[in-house]
Amino acid sequence: MSRLPSGGLIDRAKPLAFTFDGKNYSGLAGDTLASALLANDVRLVGRSFKYHRPRGILTAGSEEPNALVTLRTGARAEPNTRATMAQLFDGLEATSQNRWPSLAFDVMAANQLFAPFLVAGFYYKTFMWPAKFWEKVYEPLIRRAAGLGALSMQPDPDSYDRAHDFCDLLVIGGGPAGLAAALTAGRLGLRVIIANEDWLLGGRLLAERHEIEGAPALRWVDEAVAELGSLPSVTVLNRTAVFGAYDDREFGALEQVSDQVRAPAPGQPRQRLWKIVAKRTLLATGAIERPLVFGGNDRPGVMTASAVASYVNRFAVAPGNRAVVFTTSDSGWATTLDLLAAGVKVVAVVDARSDPGSPAVVKVQQAEVEILTGAVVTDAYGKTVKAVDVRTAKGGIRRIEADLLAAAGGWNPSIGIGSNLGDRPIWSEAIHAFVMATPSSAMLPIGAAAGHFSLREALTDGIRSIEGIARDLGRAVPKSAIPRTTEDAAEVKPLWHVGPHRTKAFVDFQNDVTDTDVRLAAQEGFVSIEHLKRYTTLGMATDQGKTSQLNGHALLAAATGRSIAETGTILSRSPYTPVAIGAFAGHHRDGDFRPERHTASQQWASEQGAIFVDAGPWKRAQWFARPGERDWLDTVNREVTMTRYGVGICDVSTLGKIDVHGPDAGTLLDRLYINTFSTLAIGKARYGIMLREDGFVMDDGTTTRFAEDRFFVTTTTANAAKIMQHIDYARQVLWPELDVQASSVTEHWSTYSVAGPLSRTLLQKLLLTLDLSNDRFPYMAATELRWRDAPARLFRLSFSGELAYEISVPATHGDMLVRALFEVGNAFDAVAYGTEALGVMRIEKGHPAGNELNGQTTASDLGMARMMSTKKDFIGRVMAGRPGLTDPDRPSLVGIRPLGGARLRAGGHLIPRGAQAVAANDQGYVTSVAFSSTLGHWIGLALLKRGSDRIGERIIVHDPVRGPDVEVEVCNPVFVDPEGIRVRG
Amino acid sequence: MANSLIVTERSGFGAATIMARKGVSTAALGDALGFAPPEGPARIERDGLALIGTGPATWLAMTDAPETGWPASLEQKLKGLASISDQSGSYRVFSIAGDSARSLLQRGAFIDLHTDVFGQGSAATTVIAHIGTVFWQVDDRPNFEIAVFRSYAPSFLRWLEASSASL
Repeated sequence: MSRLPSGGLIDRAKPLAFTFDGKNYSGLAGDTLASALLANDVRLVGRSFKYHRPRGILTAGSEEPNALVTLRTGARAEPNTRATMAQLFDGLEATSQNRWPSLAFDVMAANQLFAPFLVAGFYYKTFMWPAKFWEKVYEPLIRRAAGLGALSMQPDPDSYDRAHDFCDLLVIGGGPAGLAAALTAGRLGLRVIIANEDWLLGGRLLAERHEIEGAPALRWVDEAVAELGSLPSVTVLNRTAVFGAYDDREFGALEQVSDQVRAPAPGQPRQRLWKIVAKRTLLATGAIERPLVFGGNDRPGVMTASAVASYVNRFAVAPGNRAVVFTTSDSGWATTLDLLAAGVKVVAVVDARSDPGSPAVVKVQQAEVEILTGAVVTDAYGKTVKAVDVRTAKGGIRRIEADLLAAAGGWNPSIGIGSNLGDRPIWSEAIHAFVMATPSSAMLPIGAAAGHFSLREALTDGIRSIEGIARDLGRAVPKSAIPRTTEDAAEVKPLWHVGPHRTKAFVDFQNDVTDTDVRLAAQEGFVSIEHLKRYTTLGMATDQGKTSQLNGHALLAAATGRSIAETGTILSRSPYTPVAIGAFAGHHRDGDFRPERHTASQQWASEQGAIFVDAGPWKRAQWFARPGERDWLDTVNREVTMTRYGVGICDVSTLGKIDVHGPDAGTLLDRLYINTFSTLAIGKARYGIMLREDGFVMDDGTTTRFAEDRFFVTTTTANAAKIMQHIDYARQVLWPELDVQASSVTEHWSTYSVAGPLSRTLLQKLLLTLDLSNDRFPYMAATELRWRDAPARLFRLSFSGELAYEISVPATHGDMLVRALFEVGNAFDAVAYGTEALGVMRIEKGHPAGNELNGQTTASDLGMARMMSTKKDFIGRVMAGRPGLTDPDRPSLVGIRPLGGARLRAGGHLIPRGAQAVAANDQGYVTSVAFSSTLGHWIGLALLKRGSDRIGERIIVHDPVRGPDVEVEVCNPVFVDPEGIRVRG
Repeated sequence: MANSLIVTERSGFGAATIMARKGVSTAALGDALGFAPPEGPARIERDGLALIGTGPATWLAMTDAPETGWPASLEQKLKGLASISDQSGSYRVFSIAGDSARSLLQRGAFIDLHTDVFGQGSAATTVIAHIGTVFWQVDDRPNFEIAVFRSYAPSFLRWLEASSASL
């Protein structure tokens, strides 16, 4: 065990059992999985992506590239969990990734032997030839060998939810700068949200030893946390990572609600996605320590110095017994003191600088630790580190035995979110790192994120930034005092490369990109920073290059003889940290993938055994199967036959319904429809067609006039929303001078079609006071009435070709009406029919529907050229006159009937008899087919070149996918009652 | 009771869309109605008639006890001034009350519901769980009422159930 005897923010009274690769271990409350593994001397945690090299724990934060594990098992298994971010819980199960058969012995590690083939751009080079090998050999091979973790392939048992919030100030990060800012702003009464990735507030103060106002800094943190909790206008979101900045000051954040427990409590989500709108944002995201590039720098036992400080101070774990500290910055010296204070032997401090100025140097000297200045570590050796080579100031190589190498390469401000909206970071010579190019009052970096690395600067930034923001927001600005802090030196001299080394030196650990890869990319001409990323994969995958980016860019700069400022850096895109797709989907999965719409007869239809079909978001009854029916066709034939010879009832509430009111309603409708509506008599309905601006048919439906200034428009189910939009566009944008109002009433009316020769008799029994005789209520008549004390409407409309009516009541009464219709209808053997029978009857009647109103047909194509008024202008009139749209060769609507009773299929292409089945001979296609129980054979509607001139001709339906060619006769598309006697009867 | 949430469904109400005719001012509508309709997303209730602003010159009118033939009386009052569409069947209206009501709605609605911004008489026309809604704050219990298109109500209630479980 490497647990230190005292200290740390862990609860020694609360041991937690966990397993890693099936082996039992014990950690403590307050541990991460990473700290618990280190406490148990587990240092080998995973295998790398490409070369399957052994990897350990590099960092103690969200930037971790190496220690990715699969957390939990079974359906809850989550691959690529950063061990450094997983809070330990009792019963945690973790397994390592990218190894086969075991972590210690990985067959794929042989990839290292093939390393020359796996260099930068290997995807593009090695497997190019022979081409036919790609699919069968190369791709499966690469897929098996590479990749990060594996999915469980089981449905996720957990839920994810969504929340929204708005604030004056969003503070991203709960370190000293963020805490000071949130506290100052909260005291002013600003609405503050502080989002903190960690489960504890404090940031670096949890991991480093500082004093504020003469007391340990953690006391200041505790007081700050307590005060924030007492401020009503402050919301603290712990375990919440802000992952992206979006337009209009909107931010995305992920709260890990239940990731720290074995399974979420009942009702609780696993994670919650936040959308936050902030008037002002402070980027208090701190900085990430750069690794150093030397041979073997990826071996378990090599860590960033800040991670070492974290494990020692926060988790009371010694990550090694003999440490070498390799530093280019003052912070490495502070870590050396932390190790010494914890009783860990430090065998040497190697500083690349020749005269480090940190006050800690003297203390380290006093502790009799060997100090090598002007020196670099060139290589680390051992499966886990056993020894390191140091090139001294004089140029000699010295081997030092050590099992821990703490590397302090300087600091990169975490400004990824700051560049999400396109602000490309610029190079700062002062801090040797990229900083935000245009920090603004809308999003201001503070503390380490602004390159102000000392604690005093962080607190100062936090407090002073609020003074500016408060002024901006028109609040009073009291001057706050800056707390006194201990000094912490923050000088750094960058070292991008250590010079000659013997073993592989990694720049990007997660993608196995080495210093040589970067040089190779440059040699091959990939000198743009964005090309380097794509070619080498540097900076890709879950860590998005948080530890690797700048080292890679600096090496590219060196290889191309440019400065880093000239070379530039990439733009960070959201999400800044990985977010599971499930969190984005939230509630909307499985049955809730999208909302469903139910008509008022849903319950009744379910009771009748309806099979439902999706019609956009609507659930519509497709057919109502009865016992003894062999298949759907049996059922549909019965529904059609009983309707045509008796009476059938169908819910048609899903059709779009729009009230168009006002003195100019008729004028507007004349401009929307190809035919005229202003002359429509009150109490009458008329069928109409609307065109798009480009002259093609957009939608059809009936419109009824109930008063001089009250029209009632219906649309197809599919186009209901689109036509509402179209009408609003026309009245608001095209002709605002018209006095006309429009309102969707689709939801208000529940409508049933009552069709068949007995429909009048049935309805007459339901509506005793109304005279439904043909004289008094003829075809296309409409009236308003009351039914059971509710408003109702009756229309004499027919889609089926039979004597038929549509009856509407408010949706509140829809269930009551359908039951009442069948109570009366039972005496007439009334049948419920679904959308399938509806479709059969409209095909028998030759009515175009969605398959024909497909956006590619004109009114003329559909046989409705004569409906187009020549006495008025309407939308689409001019474009409908284009030569291409009036070409007599255009396919037009015809009926087809097969010779010899063959089955027809929609989609089959029409070829002249004797012609070869090639595209050049294609003369159209079958749009809709049905088995006509009325006629006893299959029938179809088709769009055929010069179709209306070819009635009686025989042609071939060619369907190479689903069946043999079928010879058909071209006929009138109206198969049943072409004279229209029944509808008028 | 801490974190209370009481969801009940209203029934028997009347609802209608009022859209002002061209050039008719809100004040003119107010004269005809006896009180001025709200300008913007807000709700005003007088003598059993509530008007909720849902768009420019557009209101949702609600009444708890519609007389037979409603909204004929409204049409009569506003004859020549506004177009009226009966929407009594269009919505299911739920009352969401209690300490957690505001948090619940904020989970669903991406508009600011903070008490400083959204109080008694405030209204919003927005989307919750991809479903169009109109909601308003009735009183400071607080009690909110939310109108959801009838056909979408089962899906809305599934969201409501899942989200209230996680409060």
